Order: sequence, then C-alpha cells, then structure tokens
Amino acid sequence: MQSGGGTAAGALGVTRRGAAVRRGRIGEDLAVGASAAGLALCLVLAGGIVLLLVRAGLAPFWPQPVIEYTLRDGSRVLGELVLRRDDALIVRGDDQLRPGDGYVRLRQEEILAERRPPDAIARVHVDGRHSYRRGGDDAHEPGIAAVEPRNALTFAGRLAFFGERLRAYAFGGDRPGDHGQGLLPALAGTLTLVLLMSLIVMPVGIAAAVHLHVYAGHGRLGTLVRGAVVSLAGVPSIVYGVLGLGLFVHGIGGGIDRWLYADRLPVPTFGTGGLLWAALTLAVLTLPVVVATVEQGLSRIPDTQRLGSLALGATRGETLRRLLLPQARPAVLSAWILAVARAVGAVAPLMLVGVVKYAPASPIDAAFPYLHPSRQFTHLGFAVYDQALISPDALVGVPRAYSAALLLVALVLVLNAAAGLVGRRLRDRDRAFTI
Amino acid sequence: MSVPLRAEPALDVAALVQRRRVSRRRRERAGRALAAIGAGAVLASMLAIPLFLLVELLPSASVPDGTGERLGVLLGGTLKASVLAVLLAFPVGLAAAVHLVCFSTPLQRSRWRPVLDLLAAIPTVVLGLIALTWLAPWLQSRIATLLVLAAVVPAAVIASLAVFAPLLRAHPARRPFVALAVGLAAGGVVIGWDPWAGAIAVDSPWNGVLVALALGVAAVPLICTVGADVLQRAWDRHIDAAVALGASRWQALRSLVLPAAASGLTAAALLALGRCAGETMIVLMASGNTAIASADPRDGLRSLSAELALSLPGAERGGALWRTLLIATLVLFVLSFACNLAAARLRARSA
Repeated sequence: MQSGGGTAAGALGVTRRGAAVRRGRIGEDLAVGASAAGLALCLVLAGGIVLLLVRAGLAPFWPQPVIEYTLRDGSRVLGELVLRRDDALIVRGDDQLRPGDGYVRLRQEEILAERRPPDAIARVHVDGRHSYRRGGDDAHEPGIAAVEPRNALTFAGRLAFFGERLRAYAFGGDRPGDHGQGLLPALAGTLTLVLLMSLIVMPVGIAAAVHLHVYAGHGRLGTLVRGAVVSLAGVPSIVYGVLGLGLFVHGIGGGIDRWLYADRLPVPTFGTGGLLWAALTLAVLTLPVVVATVEQGLSRIPDTQRLGSLALGATRGETLRRLLLPQARPAVLSAWILAVARAVGAVAPLMLVGVVKYAPASPIDAAFPYLHPSRQFTHLGFAVYDQALISPDALVGVPRAYSAALLLVALVLVLNAAAGLVGRRLRDRDRAFTI
Repeated sequence: MSVPLRAEPALDVAALVQRRRVSRRRRERAGRALAAIGAGAVLASMLAIPLFLLVELLPSASVPDGTGERLGVLLGGTLKASVLAVLLAFPVGLAAAVHLVCFSTPLQRSRWRPVLDLLAAIPTVVLGLIALTWLAPWLQSRIATLLVLAAVVPAAVIASLAVFAPLLRAHPARRPFVALAVGLAAGGVVIGWDPWAGAIAVDSPWNGVLVALALGVAAVPLICTVGADVLQRAWDRHIDAAVALGASRWQALRSLVLPAAASGLTAAALLALGRCAGETMIVLMASGNTAIASADPRDGLRSLSAELALSLPGAERGGALWRTLLIATLVLFVLSFACNLAAARLRARSA
C-alpha cells in the first residue's frame, strides 16, 4: 500500500498521509504560538502591575525639583510640576489659604521657557501649606516648619531626602498639616484586626478539621460539613459584610447595648461597627480556608500511623493530640497565613462593619483593658480605596493611595511566599518520612 | 524463703489502669465534644447567611415599591460586567493553561506557577485603584486602539513563533519569552503610532470596558488554575493513545483533549463568572456606579455588590431601603451559589 509514512514523498505532503502530518505540524506551531501568547500576557500583567505600583507608590517621596516657568505674557510661575496632561501642565505653586489650593494649570503654548534655578527652595509652613521662593534663608521666619533646598541637592542628598520622607510617611508623624496620618495607624489597625480574627477562627477551624478527619470521616455528616465548607468558600465577601452588619452589629450588638449599656443609648457602644464585629465577620469569611487547609494537612499523614496508635490502645483523642496534631503543625501554620492573606485583602465587608477613615481613638491604647473591641479602626486596604476616591485633594490622595497599595501588595506577597515555603517544607517532610 | 507473689498495694496496676481508663474516657468525650462544636460552627456559618436573610425578610412579606426595576438594573449591571470580564479572560486563561499542560515540561510548569500565584494574590482593591487612576484616562480615548491591539498582537506573536518554530524546537522553554518580546514590540508600535486615538467615543472614562478589563485580570488566574487541572486529567487520559496512533500534540488536543475537557472548562468559566459577580471593589471603583440598564459596553453600570457597599451603611434598619438591599443580597447570594454549584456538578461529571 502506498502510504507516505516517513519517506521523503510523505514529508513533502505528496501523499495524503504526508499532507496530514504537515497540517498537524502547522497547526501545532500555531497552537504553541497562541498559547505562549496567553502565558506571556499573564507575565506582562503580573509584572506590569507590580512595576506600576512600585513606581507610583515610591515616586511621591522622591524630591521634585522647583522649576521656574516664564510665560508668554512675561509673568513667572515658581513651583513643582505635578502632572503632565495632553497639552497642559499642572504645577503646584504657592498655597494661599489652605494646603492644596495653589495648583495652576499652564497650557504648553503659554510657556516660553523653564529653568531650575539652583537657589530655588520649597518651604513648608506649620499648617501644611507649601510656598516656593528664590534664594534667601527663611528658616527663621515665623510659621515656616521646614525649608527644602531641592535644586541644590546631590544624588546622595536626594536619596537621603527620599528615605526621610518615606520614613515619615510610613511611621506616621506626616509632614505638618498634610492630610492623612501616614500609614502606621492603618497598618496597626489591620494587624490588630487580623490578630483578633485569628484568635477566633483558628481554634474553630482546627476543631472542625479535626472532627472531619477523625470522627466524621466519609460518612453523611462528613460529606455535609465538607459541602458546607466548599459552599462557604464561594460566597462573595460583601455578603459576609451584610451578615456582619445585620446579624452581628444590629442584632447581637444592639442586644448587648440594650442589655448592658442602656444608659448610653441612643449612642451605640456595641451596636455600631467596630473591631469585634469586623473580626467576627472576617473569621466567618476565612473559616473555609482554614478548615480546608488543616484537613488537607491531616489527610497527608499516612493512615498507618493512626491505625498503629489505635491498635496500641490509644483513644482517638490521644492519637490526635500526641501523634497527628504535632505532625500537622506546618499545615496549621500555612492555614493561618492563608487566612491572614485573605483577610488583609478583604475590604468590601469591612466597609459595612466598622472600618473608618480616621479612627477617633485607637482600639489599642494604654488604658485598661488595653484592647477596646467596640471602637472603630482603620485598615490598609480601605485606606487605598478612600485615599483614591474620597480624599479632598485628588492630586495628593492618589499617590498616597498607591503608597498604601504598594505596602498592601508587599504584605500579601510576603504572606503568600511564606505559605508557599511552609507548604514546600510539608511536602519535603512527607517525602522523607514514609512509614 | 519464698518471695511474695502479690505486688505491693501501692503498685496495684490493675486499679491504676482502671482509674486511668475512666479519666481517659472522659477526656476523649470532652475532646470529641470540642471537635463537634467546631464542626457545628462551620455548619452554622453556612446556614447563617440564608437563614438571616429569610428571617429578616419573611415576617412582613411586603416588597417595597420599585424594588423590581431597581434590582433588575443592578442585576443587569452585575451580569454585564461579569459576562464581559469572562469573555475577555477565558481565552487568555485557556491559552495559558494549554501551554502549561500540553507544551511545557514539569520544570517550566513549576517556574510559571509563581507568576500565576502572584497575579491571583493581588488584592482587588489594588486592581480597582489601577483601573480608576491609571487605565481610565488612557482608555477614554483609546478604545479603538485596544481593539487593534487585541487583533494585531496575537497575530504577530503567532506568526513570529510559527516562523521561528524550527529554531525554538530545541529550546521550548524560551517560547513564552519570545512571545513576550514580540508582543511587547508589536504592542509598543501600535500604542506609539496610534492613529486611531479617539475613534470610538465614550461618554465617561468609567465604563463597562474598563470594568471588564479589570475584572478580567482578576479572573484570569482562576480560569488558568482550574482549566489546567481539568486539562491535565484529560491530557493524561488521551495523549498516550493519540501519540501511538501518530497524531501530533495539536491534533490530540483539538480532537480528543479539548472535547473531553469541555465540561470542565465550562465549569471554570462558570466559577469565574460567579466570582466576578460577587466582586465589589473593582466594580465600585471603576464602573462609575451609574444605575443604567444598557448592554453597550461603553456605558457605565452599577452592580449589586457595589450598591450594597454604597447604600447599606446609610440604610435604617427595618426600613424600605433596608428590605430592598437585603433582597438584593439574597439575589447575589443565590446567583453566586448557583454558579458555584453548577461548576461543581460539571467538574464532578468530567472527572
């Protein structure tokens, strides 16, 4: 029979079999190309987003030079360049009455020349206003908090300036009068919330996973609970927020208020959003993650160990306590890290149950009992949203939002990397000890 | 002299064991109760949401006026955003999954997973921020450019990889990077040259296209992960027989693996749909929150979740707005639950 097969005639597509082989090869090349394009796009998206965040999040802290624009009509504007739109520049000049009211829009046609005078300085007033001058040492003038000779800085000087601004923003104590309180309150609020949530969710989640693995097994109750865990994982986070608002804040919180704090009504104590309800809501949100991860860790332990322990007369509880749980420690740690990573990124439910822009009083302070679960708090993810949309001065708010976003993403990535490391140690250990 | 056979009373082993057995049993029961409490808490959490909604809504069966139209608009907005997002994300996710499963080695697979994990880990607040502040101004006048990009860049990448195929066959790991380089070059040319700026007009920078893009970025890792899982199973089942019969990998993919994995891939799309329907922050920040019912992607939209986030803090408990919003929550819950259930059924069927 004349078949192309591997002969030269076949490779050239002269016979029908050879034509099919060539079609297959062309199709394969096209498929490889298309699928590689998809993968490359994922890389572009991931890398692009991180690079954009780093650039936009760190740029506001780099000292901008003070530029003098000479306009066509002879006047001069001294300030720093903030934004470059299609055909216009937005320059920040002297603030008149409040910080942020000195923005000027200059059209490209108007500008005759621009230069950076080496003696131009930026001055920060105590109420947060900025003004720009040529020369002169105004540090002794009343009302000036700081003088920045930006154009005269060397690269090392700029680096030091950058570091100082970054440190000031990150640890609070922001420049005088500027909006916002720096990132420290948001970070502290986030960490307190996450800690409280962990105290609630970890014991419950581990208990549920233990019950699933040891007592329920694959019976009806076990399948029911596992189904519940999977369904819970798919519920949108805002629905948890509604549950938190309706059931916890109004329902239980209102009840506590009527019961214990009736004399303070109608000012709510527990009947409004606060740390406790937010932690409880996030605990319900992250419960499926914890249960699934811990149960997965427990099921990795070879069954022979459990059977041997039972054969030697230990009860199921003792087997659990002395044999299984110690081996499941990496899984428990991994579950905790994943829960924290999920909680740090969940902003929507918190908008309903207690996060605010400026917490009037920190939920942790030096007054007994040191932790005040009924108080409101700030959150890093919420700071991103609120700086971007609600801040009164968009040209300052948006860069701050990017700085908060950078910190948030860095935190989440570190957590996920830690979870990955713990997971890898789990797998290595499983490979090492197989009985 | 004989040694007494009976042990000393202080070491009465039998009595010791007897006493310990009681305390062990008690501890066992306590431990089991604790574990059962945990499991009960999980069940309670699952039931809490629908039960709470029903308890709040059922007693007075009155539906406030205008709820129907309002919810209709919101549901339409949610579906518009989600469907557009999945339409954009599905090809990308599927392509990435196909490349990972079918055309790369396990080493490459393990190297690319962190990229997808990175994409999946980015909080949606951050995606919303980028869409709102960076993408929106650019996209406002460049929708036509986007369409041209979507047509030209894949064509350029595919063409270049087909041309360089003989060279790359020896180095399969370099394919995505060649694709990356060619794609960036082609994209740079299109964006830099850009004679189509302003060709397609939009009223507002915050519109359906922007939301679809941002939601799509969030959905791609989910589709890729679930799709890769499904494809791997179908691939392992069919590839040996296909290669034995002389098919190329593409022919096996096209005629055997993809049809076998079709229901699983639909499940992946449904999961992504459910996830996008419940997504709040991106839609809140990038959609403009305009409550209009329009199928045109250039118009804004308002979704159920964004409405909840915006209106619920100000709603008085028990009032008409409260009831309407709780009904909206119920609709959202049922929608995402249905998507997840359907996806789980499809996956169970294909496995």
